[in-house]
Amino acid sequence: MKVMVEGTVIEGMPHGLYRVGIAPEREVVAHTPSGPGKNFIRVLVGDRVKLELSSRDLTRGRIVAKI
Amino acid sequence: MIVCKSPREIEQMRRANALVADVLAELAGMVAPGVTTADLDATAERLVRAAGAEPAFKGYRGYPATLCASVNDEVVHGIPANRALVEGDIISLDMGVKLDGFYGDSAVTVPVGKVSDEVERLLRVTREALQKGIAQVRLGGRVSDIGHAIQEHVEAAGFSVVREFVGHGIGAQLHEEPQIANYGEPGRGPRLAEGMVLAIEPMVNMGRPAVKVLRDGWTAVTRDGSLSAHFEHTVAVTKNGPLVLTERSAAPVS
Repeated sequence: MKVMVEGTVIEGMPHGLYRVGIAPEREVVAHTPSGPGKNFIRVLVGDRVKLELSSRDLTRGRIVAKI
Repeated sequence: MIVCKSPREIEQMRRANALVADVLAELAGMVAPGVTTADLDATAERLVRAAGAEPAFKGYRGYPATLCASVNDEVVHGIPANRALVEGDIISLDMGVKLDGFYGDSAVTVPVGKVSDEVERLLRVTREALQKGIAQVRLGGRVSDIGHAIQEHVEAAGFSVVREFVGHGIGAQLHEEPQIANYGEPGRGPRLAEGMVLAIEPMVNMGRPAVKVLRDGWTAVTRDGSLSAHFEHTVAVTKNGPLVLTERSAAPVS
């Protein structure tokens, strides 16, 4: 089950990962899409982004769009 | 890292949490048509300071008040204002305090005057969902068992669970690990161990699960404008199962 939420990029991390805050008590590590057929998204600290969360690992997400 | 508390620390946390429960019970009794959310906030701050504790939310990342008062379609983090309650509203009161170095956190949703049967059912289902979540707290269980039980119960009743906001560990910090989502598959996430203290807080919408945060940066409302209920308890994991630290005396145990 996938869940779409919005968040703010707090920090860039190594390996193309970003720390994204969703709510005051909620933070996830997210990556941008990669590979053929995916849109490249350039993300900076402070950007509002839309991300997809997995219900299996609640601390991870994928950035799918900037807003 | 998840901090486990010793029995003595849990005893201290119980005092902080009992204060939250008492203040919330007091506020719930105040709720009536015509009362403003700012009145409730002022009373909350007075009672908390009178007990020698500090409001936990005030100043937390710039939050301006002691209480989160979320009316009707507001899900959480409603900032108290000069807004008078109207008969038929529902209001969620969420408050945290810091007493002797430890935090307590709890929330309750109460009707203003008389509300329709469907709204009654929303409140009842949310309260039951919290109970089901707490029932999953046992040694060797997993964090996501809690969320799974909550989601099953809520969706069976035809309501939906908010995904953006989660429960959390609590102790010497207001928000500690782990994050406790109110949804998901069972059997995932860290194992529950003796001494963990968790704030479990299901947020249930009558309509769709989507929420958005208003321009004030705090108030979260449902996108479809449907009503939302929110209950929260702080629970310690013990050998004998869950120990609810935010026990209320005035209201029936929810």
